[in-house]
Amino acid sequence: MATISSISLSARANILAKLKKEVVGADYSKLPPEPDYIYPDLTHQEQLAQFITHLENNHAQVIKTDLFNMAHVVTEQLKQRDIDSLLYGKNSQYSGHIEAIDSSITLSDFDFSIDKDNSAAKTRLFYQTPAGITGSRCSIAATGSIVLWPTPQEPRTLSLVPPVHFVIVDAKQLYSDFATLIKEQKWQQNLPTNAILISGPSKTADIQQTLAYGAHGPKELIVLLLNS
Amino acid sequence: MNVHQVDPNESKYSASATAFRANVDRDLANDELRDNFRGAMDYLMDKRKNAFPIEDELETLREKCKLIKQRCLLKLPQLLEQLEANLQRNGIQVHWAESITDANEIIAQLIAQKNGKTVVKGKSMVSEETALNDYLEARDIECLESDMGEYIVQLAHQHPSHIIMPAIHQNKKQVAKLFADNIEGFEYTTDVDALIGEGRRVLRDKFCHADVGISGVNFAVAETGTLCLVENEGNGRMCTTVPDLHIAITGIEKVIEFLDDMPPLLSLLTRSATGQIISTYFNMITHRRQEGDKDGPAEVHLVLLDNGRSQAFADEEMRQTLQCIRCGACMNHCPVYTRIGGHAYGTVYPGPIGKIISPHMLGIDATKDLFTASSLCGACGDVCPVKIPIPKLLLRLRKESVRKQSDGSPQIMHGQGAGRKTIEALLWQGWSIVHKSPTLYRISMFMLTRCRGLMPKKIGPWTTVRTAPQPAAKTLHERIKARNKATTQGAK
Amino acid sequence: MTQLNTQHLRSYPNKPAQVYLYGTCLVDSFFPDSGIDAIEFLEQQGVEVLYPQGQSCCGQPAYNSGYQDEAKAVAIEQIKQFPLDIPIVIISGSCGGMMRHHYKDLLADDVPEIEKFCDRIFEFTEFLVNVLRVKLNDKGDPQRVALHTSCAARREMGVHITGRQLLGQLDNVELITHDYESECCGFGGTFSVKHPDISGAMVKDKTKNLLDTDVVKYISADWGCMMNINGSLDYQKKGLRGEHIATYLLNRTTNNGEA
Repeated sequence: MATISSISLSARANILAKLKKEVVGADYSKLPPEPDYIYPDLTHQEQLAQFITHLENNHAQVIKTDLFNMAHVVTEQLKQRDIDSLLYGKNSQYSGHIEAIDSSITLSDFDFSIDKDNSAAKTRLFYQTPAGITGSRCSIAATGSIVLWPTPQEPRTLSLVPPVHFVIVDAKQLYSDFATLIKEQKWQQNLPTNAILISGPSKTADIQQTLAYGAHGPKELIVLLLNS
Repeated sequence: MNVHQVDPNESKYSASATAFRANVDRDLANDELRDNFRGAMDYLMDKRKNAFPIEDELETLREKCKLIKQRCLLKLPQLLEQLEANLQRNGIQVHWAESITDANEIIAQLIAQKNGKTVVKGKSMVSEETALNDYLEARDIECLESDMGEYIVQLAHQHPSHIIMPAIHQNKKQVAKLFADNIEGFEYTTDVDALIGEGRRVLRDKFCHADVGISGVNFAVAETGTLCLVENEGNGRMCTTVPDLHIAITGIEKVIEFLDDMPPLLSLLTRSATGQIISTYFNMITHRRQEGDKDGPAEVHLVLLDNGRSQAFADEEMRQTLQCIRCGACMNHCPVYTRIGGHAYGTVYPGPIGKIISPHMLGIDATKDLFTASSLCGACGDVCPVKIPIPKLLLRLRKESVRKQSDGSPQIMHGQGAGRKTIEALLWQGWSIVHKSPTLYRISMFMLTRCRGLMPKKIGPWTTVRTAPQPAAKTLHERIKARNKATTQGAK
Repeated sequence: MTQLNTQHLRSYPNKPAQVYLYGTCLVDSFFPDSGIDAIEFLEQQGVEVLYPQGQSCCGQPAYNSGYQDEAKAVAIEQIKQFPLDIPIVIISGSCGGMMRHHYKDLLADDVPEIEKFCDRIFEFTEFLVNVLRVKLNDKGDPQRVALHTSCAARREMGVHITGRQLLGQLDNVELITHDYESECCGFGGTFSVKHPDISGAMVKDKTKNLLDTDVVKYISADWGCMMNINGSLDYQKKGLRGEHIATYLLNRTTNNGEA
């Protein structure tokens, strides 16, 4: 059987040749103008209300708090769920405030690596981690989305694998819509390994159109909203 | 020569598409199946309707997204090269595949290089198109679907019946029975939370230990070299994050030029598909795992598949087929799909979009009964978020299907002319001769009305569910002639 | 659920003294009463109606079956039959869609100024509402009816609204909307014979939804759909029947309003 590169090289040449033949002489300066799509101009308060409504409609829990009460809120929420441990990222944006959590909760750092040869770490993350907490980069009002750019301190799986995900959102970092956010933050120039928009807990309607939460990702998304 | 070289033995869908009529008979007779589809389609149509409360807004977005996709298609070859260069710069390797065998072999070898034995798959219709699971299982690689719907379908040894909701043909009782029969220790319940919980339990273990994750792609951004995935469950994130090796597979038409092109397309996609303003997760992958990262795959690969797309691309009208963003709205609103369900089509993509894309993948010979199975009601074209003129393309395919092979017309599609039947062609020629001659037409209508007593009670397929209409005693032509005469005489 | 379909946005002429009637092949040989009724109704509105005897079929059956050359030969012949620059009123949304829209594609290379011809095409109810701006005086008894709008009328001509407006003008008529009102009845021309089982399943559902409304009759502006739906109702031995809107309007507004 042919090798990957020989299959790919000949396929590449054939596909591109076929396609190029059809667009020879295409005048890209004469493309029709694309209409602008503009989101309604809302005040910050209106956007915030929109953001919260969308999240709540998507079954997320939104709790307005501040940096100093945050740890207490998290403690209370964990206790309500009979959860006594929380995974977080040390030296992350809000780690200092997270560390103020009640001593009855075992706070542990995501200080292990998820890879093939580390099944102990995987097992721990998948089976012994009932809740995780992360910060966020910003959020989007029009769709009720929270934007995460995971870091080495707060890796991708921290917001994905634990059944309960606490996410800290700064209301000052709220954008009207995704297009505006990309433009203002110039995402074209600095996209991270993984950028993720989260708009609620994991869900599915794959069985008879009946919504069920916690398909594979977190069953619960608890939004800790600061500066609202 | 841009005609797609279809090897009928290559795709398992060739045979099942050819069997369309038998499939229809089978599925129309299944009342439970029809109830499942009707209920699901009502739900999805309602969701979409509520997601677009302002008609003007919807129309602006549709026009914008149509133009975005048309621009990206016009620049397709250069965008693919740009995408490849940027992905490689980001540490993501790119492979090209002309046929489904190319794609499957590339993926099998990538897995073999890592000694992979277990694969978890996020939802990918392109991998359904290549029948990747079969290919890998034949090589002793376990390939598990992880989207809940796909998981159910795989467990039942079926194919997805809908591109967004793969198990839409099953109701919860059927799923409960399936689980009880196949999952050890599972006790029969129709509680959906419990069913999903069971799926979660089984699949968590797979995510935790799988060697490879395979996913599809919703948008591939050329400008930044980014793969975008839309999903609700989190299995897509699992597949693209936890295993050491992530392989994405997509069709060449999924590339978009700018990052700015993505938000409007995303908004239309989720709202058209399930009526969501956005999916739970929108996952943008731009690099493989980097120095210092604690998770993420060490290797990321993208496989770009042609499989007949360049054939559609070569014809400006049929190129519009490639605007599709796979939302499924056309099938949700299709009265034919609602009646026969997704499996009857026998193709990987069912419904209206399937009728216009499958002929490019499988050839007209295998698909010639699909595009005639439409009343051309136009519901699909009305809801298509990127304004693909589906009814018009159905007409075009009918034309290619009955095209005379001996007239020296250019070879546009694999199997063109395969739907031409001599008797039918003669009938239409005769019809044309009669109807273009006022005299012949009047004579034949005269005959028809005068012989009305001789009209058979049964006229072929028409009268299997209807009575035959009765010709009038006199034609409208005659009655108006008489009426005009009377008026003129009266005036005198 | 009506979608804005820009295809049918058009400007309308003033009321003309004369129009052509395009009867359609189906009405010609099977349902000529509707043609006569349409003419009478138009005449009552003070419009002279010309009916060229050379007309036959718009070509749609062949066109929809992929036999475009055969359709083209017939279409070209139709155009010749309507030389005067006056509106052509068609008592079928489906044939109207063919002549108003598909002729542009089919005949672009063969007929100079095909657009001009297409712009003269009006579906019957569209013409009544937007050109004649008719005001109806209902003389009939109270009645409940349903309306079936053909898909072509809805999507290609945008005239599902005009049928509704006309019935809305009839004071004693209560219009009942059936379930899945906008869904196709399953006719689709040759589709109904090429795929009789699918078509049959569609028309069965359509008749069920119409029967569920318990109306005395349903109204439509397309005999294609009605031939299908009435045929199915008759097969099921149900009494409900469809009536062409031209006949219905004529009867409701004249004489003793018997309809």
